[in-house]
Amino acid sequence: MFEQGMLLLVGEAFLETLFMTLVSTFFAYVIGLPLGMLLVVSDKDGIYPIVSLNKIFGVIINFIRSVPFLILLVAITPITKIVVGTVIGPKAASLALLVAAGPFVARLVESSLKEVDKGVVEAAQSMGASPFQIMTKVLLPEATPSLLLGFAIAVTTILGYSAMAGICGAGGLGAIAINYGYYRGDKEIMYVMVVLLVLIVQVFQELGTRISRHSDKRL
Amino acid sequence: MEEKEAMIQLRGVCKRFPQKKDTIEVLHNIDLDIYKGEIFGIIGLSGAGKSTLVRCINLLERPTAGQVFLDGMELTSLGEKELRVQRHSMGMIFQQFHPLMQKTALENVMFPMKISGVPKEKAQERAKELLELVGLSERMLSYPAQLSGGQKQRVAIARALATEPKVLLCDEATSALDPNTTAGVLSLLKDINERLGITIVVITHEMSVIQKICSRVAILDGGDIAEIGSVEEIFRSPKTQIGRELVFHDGEKKEAYVGHVPYCYRTVFKGDSANEPILGNMMIEYGAPVNILSGNTRNIKGGVFGQMILQFPEDAEVRGKMIQYLRDRKVEVEEVEYV
Ligand SMILES: Nc1ncnc2c1ncn2[C@@H]1O[C@H](COP(=O)(O)OP(=O)(O)OP(=O)(O)O)[C@@H](O)[C@H]1O
Ligand SMILES: [Mg+2]
Repeated sequence: MFEQGMLLLVGEAFLETLFMTLVSTFFAYVIGLPLGMLLVVSDKDGIYPIVSLNKIFGVIINFIRSVPFLILLVAITPITKIVVGTVIGPKAASLALLVAAGPFVARLVESSLKEVDKGVVEAAQSMGASPFQIMTKVLLPEATPSLLLGFAIAVTTILGYSAMAGICGAGGLGAIAINYGYYRGDKEIMYVMVVLLVLIVQVFQELGTRISRHSDKRL
Repeated sequence: MEEKEAMIQLRGVCKRFPQKKDTIEVLHNIDLDIYKGEIFGIIGLSGAGKSTLVRCINLLERPTAGQVFLDGMELTSLGEKELRVQRHSMGMIFQQFHPLMQKTALENVMFPMKISGVPKEKAQERAKELLELVGLSERMLSYPAQLSGGQKQRVAIARALATEPKVLLCDEATSALDPNTTAGVLSLLKDINERLGITIVVITHEMSVIQKICSRVAILDGGDIAEIGSVEEIFRSPKTQIGRELVFHDGEKKEAYVGHVPYCYRTVFKGDSANEPILGNMMIEYGAPVNILSGNTRNIKGGVFGQMILQFPEDAEVRGKMIQYLRDRKVEVEEVEYV
């Protein structure tokens, strides 16, 4: 069906997508994990309440999260231009990915950490644990299965974002799907790309679910 | 008798919670001394403020006013950091056990030592000893989800003892357990108190728990200490309405009583007098019957007690004589409202 050249192109795009997704996810966690932890800690019922700080970050995160990714991608082009120097290509797209995915991950982390039983936190406090110890020795370890599930959700969502980023020349499977499928009307190639994307999502989701279940000692 | 030294002292402790409109005061000006080495009970109905009171002892809840002392040191004047150090000498266990679900029993017991900076090897060694003490050596590597309620509470007890505390605070520690398991946990607590000399504070809404292990008890009612004294004293002659309610109705269903019954008295027979036919002799002497409405015997720290709710004859003179007859034979008699 495909000639040699096309196969190479697809293979390359596949790797590009994987790379873009994983790198963005990594950086999204670099931002989102501490931010999520901060949201939990500073909550009014948290282990170190700083309500004003919590409110400010909450509003910023909600603001970014309410803008659809495709619009965000376009909306931040002035910033992208200043920071990256160009508004097209994988580098330009990764900034938008980061801006969108960071707050998303922060909320995922926040909800995972908030699932931890308040009583366990209280027990740790009664033993004289500091807020830092409660975070590192209670909340994070106890929330690990849930954090891993969240990680799978983050990866698959960011994969979707990266495909959309294909529009602004970020490359990857999304770019091929749009260039060949949309602009040239080559539906076949578009469907192949869709199937590939679906496969990647399936693999990551399944992997995440399994690892999470395996790590959970409550079952 | 030696002078009793206080381990925990509360002085004028108030706790208010700010609500949307006003504030509610849950504890009013509580003064309380808990002695070294005793098992002290705090009993009260739901919402009386028991949990709040015990949480004020280790300052999980900061009192709105008043002072809390532990072994002579004022906790209420400490900063967070110093307070955390002092908390190493106060263990606490809860109704819902609150184990770390992702950690084994052994790791759970090691946890407080990890917090307080005990080297890992030493912590592990001590954790194993403690698990042995609570009878869970075999389940060392089990996760909480694989343990029964009673076993989880044993892990929690071992964990609370890990930092060699002076005080063990128990908030409804047996309320989620069945009677047999409760008995096991209570005797473990008693054993710990006797062997390690740890002062234990037991919060409960069940008189039977108090009777089994406590030496003294405070009755908390609506944020006030209604009564305080030795368990024997309070059981024999509770002075307040709430005290009588807790002592009489424990374990019995109130709904079972219908209507008002006149001339009811609660009688308490101590020890060997429970074996003599005092009642029979009394009825023969005065030629009038009394009606036994309920009765039971209980083991309290001071010995065996029999308690009965009796309905005396209508004739005031006979009734008076009968009561005197009983009192002469060291039987506590007290009029009660029996409905
Ligand atoms: N954080 C809080 N904010 C507001 N009100 C509270 C708070 N904690 C407790 N209260 C109130 O204080 C009162 C006493 O509560 P507490 O939990 O101490 O009762 P308790 O005697 O332990 O009851 P139970 O036997 O049901 O556990 C209740 O009326 C409760 O609603
Ligand atoms: Mg309570």
